[in-house]
Parts: sequence; C-alpha cells; structure tokens
Amino acid sequence: MKRMVLTVVASFLASVALAQQPAPPAEGVAAKPAHAGHAPPACADPRPECSATATPAFARDGKLWLAFAVGRTVYAASSRDNGKSFAPATAVFAAPDGVVDSNGEARPKIVPLADGSLLVSYTTRPDKVMMGTVFLARSTDGGKSFSPPQPLLSEGGQRFETFVVAPKGRVYAAWLDKTNLLKAKAEGRPFAGSGVAFGWSDNGGASFEGKKILMDHACECCRVFGALDRDGLPVFVWRHVFDGEVRDHYAAKLSADGARLAGGRVSDDDWAVNSCPHHGPSLTIDAAGAWHVVWFTKGKKRSGLFYAASRDGGKSFSEPEKFGDDARAPSHAAVLAAKGRLHRVWKEFDGEATTIAAQVSADGGKNWSAPRAVAATADASDHPLLIERKGAVYLSWLTRKEGYRLIALPREAAKSAALDRKRP
Amino acid sequence: MTTRARALVLAALLLLAPQAAQALEFKPYGRGAFAQLRKEHADRPLIAHFWSVTCPPCLAELPEWAKLLRERKGVDVVFVNVDPDGDRARAAMRIEKAGLAGAAHYAFADDFAERLYYEVDTSWRGEMPFTALVAPDGGIVAVTGAIDDPLIAGWLEKRGKSAP
Repeated sequence: MKRMVLTVVASFLASVALAQQPAPPAEGVAAKPAHAGHAPPACADPRPECSATATPAFARDGKLWLAFAVGRTVYAASSRDNGKSFAPATAVFAAPDGVVDSNGEARPKIVPLADGSLLVSYTTRPDKVMMGTVFLARSTDGGKSFSPPQPLLSEGGQRFETFVVAPKGRVYAAWLDKTNLLKAKAEGRPFAGSGVAFGWSDNGGASFEGKKILMDHACECCRVFGALDRDGLPVFVWRHVFDGEVRDHYAAKLSADGARLAGGRVSDDDWAVNSCPHHGPSLTIDAAGAWHVVWFTKGKKRSGLFYAASRDGGKSFSEPEKFGDDARAPSHAAVLAAKGRLHRVWKEFDGEATTIAAQVSADGGKNWSAPRAVAATADASDHPLLIERKGAVYLSWLTRKEGYRLIALPREAAKSAALDRKRP
Repeated sequence: MTTRARALVLAALLLLAPQAAQALEFKPYGRGAFAQLRKEHADRPLIAHFWSVTCPPCLAELPEWAKLLRERKGVDVVFVNVDPDGDRARAAMRIEKAGLAGAAHYAFADDFAERLYYEVDTSWRGEMPFTALVAPDGGIVAVTGAIDDPLIAGWLEKRGKSAP
C-alpha cells in the first residue's frame, strides 16, 4: 500500500513538474522581462541541436557520426552529407536517474571501427553516487541498434574516457580513475587529483584488457586527449597535478605491452591552484612523428593559450608559443595534423559573440597563418573540435542558435588562397 | 496551482523526506545577473562564490564557507552553482550537507557560460571554485582557487572590519 501511495505521489509530482516545466522561474536576478532574450529551454528531441555537445567521428564509408546526449539519453546519429542532415538518431542508453556527462570536457563519444562496427562511450553519475562510471555499447548493424551498455569498470569511479584506434584495429582507452583517491581517503591520507588509467581492446570494444592506473595525480576535471603515433602506439596528454598543486601538462606514450608510460612535462607554466580549470588540452601527431600540444594556463610564468611540440617522443618540448587574443578570452583550443598541414582552432569571446579562430601551419608549427574567424555564434556553444577525412580537416561545432556545423578548413592561409584564385 | 494541489505537493515532499534537499531554492542566474547582484548589494561588501559539483576542490571547501558565514557579519555572501539543471539536486544535497542551506543560492539559468563568466571577470574561463570579492565602492578582486587563498583572507580582514 505504502509503495502504491509513493508511486502515485511520484507520478503526481512528475506530472506537476512536467506541467510546470515551460513556466519561467518565479523570481531571481535574471527572471525579469529585460532578460527575455535568453536561450530558450533546451529542446528535448533526439537531435544534435538539442544537446550541449556533439562528438564527431568519420566512418570508413564517409559517414559522419555524432554521439550526443539529450537529457539522460545517449544517442548516435549519422550523416551522409557532412553534417547538413542526419538520419534519425538511435538511442544507445537512457539513464534512469542522475546525470550523463555532456559538457565540453566530459561527453559521449563514438568510435567507428574498420569492420563497420561502432563503439559508443559515455559516463553516468547516478543520484547519490559521487563517482562516475564509464559505459560502452557496440553496434554491429550500422548503428540501427546497440548492445546493452557494459561498464568499463564496475568499481572505483571513472570519467573522461578517450579512445585511440591503432592501424591493426586495437582500441586503446585512457580515462581518469579515482580508485587510488578512494583508497587514500579510506586510509585518511591526502591525495591530489585522479589516476590516469589505460587499457586496450582487440574485439572492437566488447572487452578491455590490461586496465591499469599507470600514473597518479592527474587534474580530475579536465579532458584527457589521445593521438596515434607513427609506430601505432597511442600518446595521451592531460593536465597533471605536480608538487605544490601546480596544474601543468604532461604527455606520454603507452608502451607496446601497455604497462608503461614514456613522456614528459609539456611546459612549466607554474599554475599553482587548488581548482578545477575544466579546460583540457589537445594533441596531434604529424607524419614526421612530432607531438603537437595546445593548452590553456593561468600560470605564474605564462597565461593564455599556448602551443608546443616535441620531436623526441615527449622527452623535451619546444618553448611554448602564445596564440589567441587575450582581450577576447581565448579558450578551448584544438590542434590536428593532416596531409602536411597543422591546423589549430580555438574560441574567442568579445562580450557578445563567440568566434572560432583558425590558423594553419605548413611547416610543422614553426610559422602560422594569420588567425581567421571561421564561425561565430551569439549564444551557447560546444567546444570546437577538429576531425579529418582523406587529408581534409574540418571544424566540428555545435551551437545553440545555428545547430551542428561541419566546416572545411582551408589548407592554405587566406592570402595565398586569394592568390590562387587569380591564377588561370 | 490550487491550494489543494500545493498541499498535496507539500505532503508528497514530506513523504519523500530523504530527498527534501531538492526543496532548497536556487534563484536563476542568467545574463546580466552579476550586474544586478552588484546593484542589489551596493555599498556593502559582497562575496559571490561560484562552484560546481564536478569540482572536488569546490566540494571539499563548502564547509569552510559555512564556517566563514558563521564568523563574518557584515559581508554579504551569495553562492552560484554553475552546473546544468541535471546536477541541481546533487548541488542541493551538497549545500545541505555543508550546512549552507540557509545561505543565498543562485544557479546558472543560461548555458551561454562564457558570457556569464565574462560578465564577472573577462579573464575567467570557467575555473572553479571562483570567487568575486566586491568592495562597497564596487572594486572587484577575482580569485581563482580555494577559500584559503590569501587574497580572500586579506580582503576579508579589510572589508570585515569596515563593514557596519
């Protein structure tokens, strides 16, 4: 009886909540008509534009796939025309309660594999549980349906998963793992940040082997970013917590046996802060094997967006080069190498509009074209991401007002492109 | 909503007592909110503290903020939760647990986050915790990081004493 009453009460509450959803907040500093120009409530349809983030990947057949979450449901959707239109999305999973991570840093991901199968990942944080759990689901029917999601690990607490697919099909995974933090807490020991953990799958993500924390004390709230090196091994970069709460970056390659990391500190920015920057790095590796990293810092030694490269497998990095206009709050940079070019993009905000600025380098990052605005919006937007297909690099960007956009980035600086047009 | 419906909701909330943390009220914080807050607290020292449930340092220091609230009279403090709606119940739970249920709470009601950050401090990109110390004369000190930052203690020394 009591149970029934509770159910009735719960459904009544739910209906009240639903009925009230469109109503504006009753009071508060932003509830006045003067601020009526606010973003409308997020839509609830299973479309990318109803999500805060959409993570892209190209499949071998040229289809563009997006993974995204609307509310607590994770979706995958594909496009045959580079993101102009999408087939109806497939629901991968609907979380019964809590939250599915869907923000710039932590977000659902999709990995199309060579055999045509798809691997989708996402992180849930159920009610009353402070830890995240990473789930994986596979599709072997071209995204029509997905297997019941399986947790990557069922204990500890994991977030910020990322994947790198090796040429022979091995799927490497990296994530931030709170297992050692929990252990330390239970023993009353202080512990900074999270562990960085790795594993790999030789069956398209159905199961992962060698899951292990290889380094402790990564910053616990910034994305980990991976890229494939020339030798088929994955390299990852993350914000690390060095001694004295210094949150600078570290990049390392996973060994062939998956048991060791080899790399080094990207830069000594000296950002000593007990905070969550929510602002992770990006990494790409070019055909010559150089590791290119972009990141954000507010360190004592430098502040803003920076770029550096390592040509010795992470043992040393070039002097950080500043980019972005500090007067326009530059943030969330991405970098990608393809076909002899290095592209980087980032957000800038002038108080009204967010712009994606882009630069290209034809000499491995030594010289860059003048920054060019490639897209803009005057409302909420996702981080800018870069993806590549057949040597062409695209900006992938989801914005509240304009929806999803995939924008091809020119291989040449604007000036030389103009010159090209004059040629016969 | 009718009175009867209100009574029913109240009864329902009481029945669901363990989740009562959700009853905590967050005022919406949108575009222009920071300027509005400054106006509302003009001539008084104001601390606007921004925090997130996905930020362990933020959670760890919430009880410290409760302590500060108990000790410091004459300084207005408002808390702004920056999480999306889905995390609000969790945020309310954390507030209750830290003993901050009686404080003034706002929550991001607009996902154009960079704009909300920019309105507080043009160099703020969303690092948490983040605290804006607003002096009675309007001068702002922005602090990225934890409450034990010497900037906060120093500001409180001055503002606390000069406050009525």
